[in-house]
Amino acid sequence: MVECLRNATFRVELENGHKVLAHISGKIRKNYIKILPFDRVLVELSPYDLTRGRILYRYRT
Amino acid sequence: MDEHAVVTTRVAERQWHAVADDRVVGRGDASPRPDGRIFISIDAWHCSVFDRLADTMLADLPEPLYTLVDEADVDMTSHWERAGFTTRRREWEYLVPTDPQVTGLGSVPAPPGVTMVAIGEAEQGPLRTLDRTIRDEVEATVGWQEMPAEVLHRPDGVTVPDASKYAAAARSDEYVGLVRLAPVARRPRIGLIAVRSDHHRLGIARALLAHVLGSLHRSGIETASAEVVESNAAATALFEGVGARRAGSNLELVLR
Repeated sequence: MVECLRNATFRVELENGHKVLAHISGKIRKNYIKILPFDRVLVELSPYDLTRGRILYRYRT
Repeated sequence: MDEHAVVTTRVAERQWHAVADDRVVGRGDASPRPDGRIFISIDAWHCSVFDRLADTMLADLPEPLYTLVDEADVDMTSHWERAGFTTRRREWEYLVPTDPQVTGLGSVPAPPGVTMVAIGEAEQGPLRTLDRTIRDEVEATVGWQEMPAEVLHRPDGVTVPDASKYAAAARSDEYVGLVRLAPVARRPRIGLIAVRSDHHRLGIARALLAHVLGSLHRSGIETASAEVVESNAAATALFEGVGARRAGSNLELVLR
């Protein structure tokens, strides 16, 4: 994750260099898991818009 | 997307899927908290799928149901409101400076007769005794549902699984206050700060905060984080009094 934006959105850089806008999944929020810049995260891309995604998991650093 | 092509199914006791064209286009999840409340979440790419999943889950689960949303996420909040949820409470997320020159805590002494036990040096036995006392006091007053999620109700289990995350305030041969620090590498999180009720208003919480923030600052960390329930005026005053600033807020929504 490279940047925390407004509206509870994050800019995430993928391994291929592409950047997507992602929200935190409800399950992560429900468990009070915090996402900070430079965290490694697992993102599910929207099948309808490949510039959008959802953060499903934060890897331990 | 054709709304009529979406099929919602309970795929496990606590999981629901919305499927369209053999593709999972939405997921719902329910998690019981130790205090018995059920928190649910829905992730969907379309509003209509969210609504379908919500209808299915709400029909399957007993009320009351709870969920958490980032208050800045207006769309998600409105989805839940459309499903009948209302705001129950707000938790502020604070960023807490550690620099004593900013916090003003550099010269805060411990109250007379009270000594600070550093993070990692607290003893398991007295820490567990204090933790149990504080939990019983909370249960007898405001109740666990008014506490942040970090302070989950654990009636029978071990409530201090890792004493190395705690600092304590000791008086005589017992602990009277504690603070728990989640050691997140770049921004540690103050998960709990509490003082036994018969030692309130002595400045122990402020001394504990000064102790922990000071040690973080000395190890090169500039900011910690903390969450405070909006209605907890004492905690709000404590954090805002040391220069903490609000960085966001979470809403707990309920459907009754």
